[in-house]
Amino acid sequence: MTKVLMNGSSAIAEAAIRAGCQCYFGYPITPQNELTEYMATNLSRRKGCSFVQAESEISAINMVYGASLVGVRAMTSSSGPGISLKQEGISFLAACELPAVIVNMSRGGPGMGSIAAAQSDYFQATRGGGHGDYRTIVMAPSSVQELADLTHRAFHLADKYKTPVMILGDGILGQMMEPVKFKHEAPAEPPIRHDALRGAKGRRSKFIKSLTSNDTELEELNWSLFRRYELIKKKETTYETFLADDAELVVVAFGIAARIAKGAIKTVRSEGLKVGLLRPVTLWPFPAEAVQELAKKVKHYLVFEMNMGQMIEDVQLSLEGKGEVSFYGRPGGVIPTPSEVARVISRLYYQKGLSK
Amino acid sequence: MEKVITMEKNEVPFEEYLAPGHRACTGCGEMLAVRLIAKTLGDDVIIANATGCVEIVSSPLPTTSWRVPWIHTLFENTSAVASGIEAGMKAMTRKGRYSRKTKVVAMGGDGATADIGIQSLSGALERMHEFIYICFDNEAYMNTGVQRSSATPFGASTTTSPAGKQSIGQMTWKKNLPAIVAAHDIPYVATACPSYPLDMINKVEKAMKVKGPAYIHVLSVCPTGWHSQSNATINLGRLAALTGIFPLYEIEQGRYKLNVDPAQLSPIEEYTKLQGRFRHLPPEVLASIQERVTDEYVKLKKKAAEV
Repeated sequence: MTKVLMNGSSAIAEAAIRAGCQCYFGYPITPQNELTEYMATNLSRRKGCSFVQAESEISAINMVYGASLVGVRAMTSSSGPGISLKQEGISFLAACELPAVIVNMSRGGPGMGSIAAAQSDYFQATRGGGHGDYRTIVMAPSSVQELADLTHRAFHLADKYKTPVMILGDGILGQMMEPVKFKHEAPAEPPIRHDALRGAKGRRSKFIKSLTSNDTELEELNWSLFRRYELIKKKETTYETFLADDAELVVVAFGIAARIAKGAIKTVRSEGLKVGLLRPVTLWPFPAEAVQELAKKVKHYLVFEMNMGQMIEDVQLSLEGKGEVSFYGRPGGVIPTPSEVARVISRLYYQKGLSK
Repeated sequence: MEKVITMEKNEVPFEEYLAPGHRACTGCGEMLAVRLIAKTLGDDVIIANATGCVEIVSSPLPTTSWRVPWIHTLFENTSAVASGIEAGMKAMTRKGRYSRKTKVVAMGGDGATADIGIQSLSGALERMHEFIYICFDNEAYMNTGVQRSSATPFGASTTTSPAGKQSIGQMTWKKNLPAIVAAHDIPYVATACPSYPLDMINKVEKAMKVKGPAYIHVLSVCPTGWHSQSNATINLGRLAALTGIFPLYEIEQGRYKLNVDPAQLSPIEEYTKLQGRFRHLPPEVLASIQERVTDEYVKLKKKAAEV
């Protein structure tokens, strides 16, 4: 397959179709309408697939719940306020151990905020978001190619661990166009899940439920979820490092902010400053071990986010006091430039006396 | 003395409460309706406005077109916010801390009303809050880039109901929202269109006098989403009424009255041929739409005849 020029939202849609997504449920919200529109045109024409525009975000996530119950690969997408509405449904998906993929092309908040790119949904995405003791796997791509690759992986992980998986993009990633290469072809036969509900003709009926009046049963469910989450932490944590081997200062950033940070790091490297980057690809599970490994050599960290400081808490928790953490953030949909971040990095570098 | 503009025998308030310079597209029927309605409502009003075209084009903060108290609400909860405002004012009045009869007005598009907001609208109507709900129906989610809504007419091509070899566009009939609202037995329900400005103004005035909830469904011609000429807006609004596609009527205390009742309905092609969203429709589909429009109009006339 050759490279094609696509915007991020359409790339997710195409990658989802190629990952065997059979049902997509959408509701209009900027900046991710291209995803819904791509699915309207391309998913509905595939055999055995369906596109439905719901009447609300709540309906869309619960349609995913329904589709996942009968065993098809299902997906929904939204942004900020819409994702907030979906949280109850995501909690139900987690409780009923149903796979699903949810895309959040996040925008500035709180409230309606703006339609510009922001990373202020980090807490909501990584802490579960809805009610109850659960987690969702959260992927944070930083390029259109990665959006496509991680979408494929998201469907795979959702099925493997029977859990909702969230792709946390932002307005820039959703809208910007980049060349992308799709590495998979859509499966001829959709994958079959044997635990799905399909009518009880000739066998005992199955139940999928999240309400129980037996608290030891609920405790057991929570423990089983916990064990699965521990397994996910061990096996699925992904991150990328960039020029971190000899670094005196490491910038920690995710998603589009990491892209900006990379540009900034190239600039300060050309001035001889030893700065590297750690980019968590999975935000939950957070690459805590990678941070601890870095902490053996590096004492200074700069967390850079397009919010008021959310991932910084995970960095601090992972460091367990073994490093000094500074923060630079631009909230509300303001997009900093690489040269702005480069100035922040070099100022910090000299302030901490790392140039000596 | 309040300043007025005389139109024929009628008086239209002079004061503008929607300032010019907003960001609506050229030929927007919706903002024309909003402007006339704002004039009629006056300044003793609190407007709760759902996310949508009206909200986006009139409030790119720090600038705003609104010269009256106005609050932006989320997509699904305008009627709930309006209910809260009304209940809050009632409480203040009961305590003797408020004496004016400030009108509470909720505004939303067709998506906010027919799709995501129908639950809160139904709740507010059932509880009989004293407010006016105005739905600006441009027949799709225009603000986010023309996605279909349940108020999109049959056969219209939108980005999420694209017309092509395997699809004729929107495959369901337009949700009859005024009928759903009327089923709540509220005192006043009306349909209106800025192409008939005096009729619309009259309806807003009636709605303001009603005790209990009132609902006005305004057809807003959208050149951007309908792929029509921006100078055809007024004409399209008239044609919608004259073809019977969007009949103008009101329901006062359960009694129907047709406000525009042509002796002979114009064929729907006159309306559809001016719009790109219907361009792909073959004659047999147009014929089936014509049949349905005529049937619905006959039903409506029957209701209007029952007095």
